[in-house]
Amino acid sequence: MSERESLCAIKVGGSLLKDGKSYLEAAKNIKKFVDEGLLPIVVVSAAKGVTDALLEVTRGAAEKLGKVFDLYMGIATELGSQKVYKRVLEELELLKRITNSVIEGYDPVLQDLILSFGERISKVLMVEALEAMGVRALELNARELIITNDVHGDATIDYVTTANHLEKLVNSIISTAAVPVIEGFIGATEDGRVTTLGRGGSDYTATTIAALLRLNDVYLVTEVDGIMTADPSVIPTARIVKVMSYREAMEAALHGAKRINPKAFEPLEKFYGSVVHIGSWKLFGTKIVQAIPKEHRGPKVMMHRSLHEMPYIAIIGEGVSDTSFIKKVIDILYEQGVEIMGLQTYYYRPSIIMHVKKGSEVSTLKLLHKKVFEEVD
Amino acid sequence: MKNVNIAVIGFGNIGRAFVRVLALKRKLLAKKYGVNINVVAVVDSKGMVIKPSGLDDYEMLKLCEVPKSGIYMFGSYAKQGVNVEEVYSKAAPNIHVELTPANYVSGEPGFTNIMLALKSGAHVVTANKAPLVLHYEDIMAEARVRKLAVKFRATVMGGTPFLEVLASMKSHDIEKVEGILNATTNYILTEMHDNLLDFEQALKKAQALGIAETDPTLDIEGFDAAAKLTIISYVIGKPININSIYRESVTKITLKDVLDAVKQGQVIKYIASLDAQKMVASVKIERIPRENVFAQINGTLNGVKIKSDATELFFIGRGGGRMETAHTVLDDVLEVALRWFT
Ligand SMILES: NC(=O)c1ccc[n+]([C@@H]2O[C@H](COP(=O)([O-])OP(=O)(O)OC[C@H]3O[C@@H](n4cnc5c(N)ncnc54)[C@H](OP(=O)(O)O)[C@@H]3O)[C@@H](O)[C@H]2O)c1
Repeated sequence: MSERESLCAIKVGGSLLKDGKSYLEAAKNIKKFVDEGLLPIVVVSAAKGVTDALLEVTRGAAEKLGKVFDLYMGIATELGSQKVYKRVLEELELLKRITNSVIEGYDPVLQDLILSFGERISKVLMVEALEAMGVRALELNARELIITNDVHGDATIDYVTTANHLEKLVNSIISTAAVPVIEGFIGATEDGRVTTLGRGGSDYTATTIAALLRLNDVYLVTEVDGIMTADPSVIPTARIVKVMSYREAMEAALHGAKRINPKAFEPLEKFYGSVVHIGSWKLFGTKIVQAIPKEHRGPKVMMHRSLHEMPYIAIIGEGVSDTSFIKKVIDILYEQGVEIMGLQTYYYRPSIIMHVKKGSEVSTLKLLHKKVFEEVD
Repeated sequence: MKNVNIAVIGFGNIGRAFVRVLALKRKLLAKKYGVNINVVAVVDSKGMVIKPSGLDDYEMLKLCEVPKSGIYMFGSYAKQGVNVEEVYSKAAPNIHVELTPANYVSGEPGFTNIMLALKSGAHVVTANKAPLVLHYEDIMAEARVRKLAVKFRATVMGGTPFLEVLASMKSHDIEKVEGILNATTNYILTEMHDNLLDFEQALKKAQALGIAETDPTLDIEGFDAAAKLTIISYVIGKPININSIYRESVTKITLKDVLDAVKQGQVIKYIASLDAQKMVASVKIERIPRENVFAQINGTLNGVKIKSDATELFFIGRGGGRMETAHTVLDDVLEVALRWFT
């Protein structure tokens, strides 16, 4: 394996970062990659609850800052070193000064700046946790590397400039042999103003880094083992989807699938088709790839949406708009006497949508899940 | 490959950005220019790291992660307390990089450090203006005697090579240099005009964004711009004492002043100017027609006009900014390294 090939990207989601122990747990798992000869570029989110608290701070609830203070100082204390304690305190005090100076009214520039501290501090903690586990680690600054447009709150990455920055850095990363840790979710405009990348922004940071550096693998780590065939709180028999294509993942996101951020696939489609692994430290159950082999065509995920008068069920997967699959679905519904109110599918989209009567969406979903996913093999 | 050893005194915004940029770029620079820049000492107000063989890239990057005033925490090469003489006796740097804060009353700690460096045979690169503003002649005399370079490009329009260009215009008779020389106050004024904030609000925002310092006195009372004019005056060989420069305070500007000006098609700018014929200099609040070049220079940009007997030149660019300034400091270091050590 060449040194360049040993690089991969790992995004650690905020739901996993709750206390000192969970930072150490994450570090321990990152160490496993290092022990296997890989050099992961780690993208961190803010600890659980921090971004929401900071968002409230920017809307005037200054008292919520206390929560962030307590959480992060608590973690810093748990991690132990005087250095990290002082660093975190310094950042928090700066954050406090900034929030105190927030002027009446909404200022998107300051809002993004305030939000960015969630990730900034999380990064310092992660570097410390890695070092506590005996891993050489280094801080990178998203503000210097991830360059975006100036749409505050939902910025888009300027791939060309960012690629230049990353490319210049990558040799240093390899030669120091230290695990670099960078903030997810934040970037900066060319003239240095901090921006945020919108919901799921950390995934977007990770896939951008992977695509621009042409990395083979990017790991998005959360609490669940992968993408499920359906929402397990509705369908307890739902299981993990092993392989999906980018197209399928984006289509699923469009219909409200959790844990998939459509923006995250843009750099992968445009620049390099890294394999996206979704899962937990225990199991990376789902692989999302640029194109799936033929044998993996077919339905992957189904979900229901009840937003409107006429709820719908969507089945996602390459090939579900083939006549044979449509027939199969119709047969199932026909046999069980389920009336549908409308059906929509296009050959160029990996989905089939069935509108059903209000109130029947869950039972229909259960039926379809059983027949499509549970009784086939 | 030539090794050039440097000591970095002052490890704040610029010091950290400089060490970081150097850590990331020095391998490339070594390949390109055949000199290897080694950092043998780094000093802040509470402690020092001294490693005569030079810090490696990883150590340099890790050093940038210590908390403020936290160099003393940096493992085995670190110690508490500051003693620049010890830096020289233990590590004998070839180039001294002075990045301490500016004090326009005493010039310290920069002046003592720079003189010590020169007396110890080190070339000097400084971003700190105060020692030059107060002791330009002493410093240059010492450097001349010892045949050493003193470089200070980062002190005026720190993100650009403005001073280099000015210094190179040797055949010209420079008549006037004027413009926007302070980024912080220009940002504040831009906020006042664009977002209709009053001075206090704009200052607060600038502080929140890290553009203005917690104590903004040097910027808003015009000391910083006056110091820059003084350095310019030395560079063109027509020295003016900083205390003789007339200064107005930007704190006087109200939102009403801004609105009045705008109504009349004007904008308010904080203009530093040096008239080298009359030998007078000032830092003043001025109303400028909206079409004027200076009216277009907004935010943290700086802009200067050089007028000589032969030409008129405009310079627009970042005045400060840690990354830009760090590069300017590094350019000075490289220039000295290439000229004297290869
Ligand atoms: N910021 C800019 O954009 C810019 C542009 C051009 C020029 N400059 C000039 O560059 C210089 C540095 O600017 P900065 O923004 O980096 O300032 P800064 O953040 O205040 O950093 C100053 C550094 O000097 C250290 N220091 C203070 N007293 C010292 C002493 N007696 N011995 C050794 N170190 C001492 C401080 O130590 P602690 O860390 O322990 O406090 C700090 O590390 C200033 O003179 C400034 O005017 C700045």
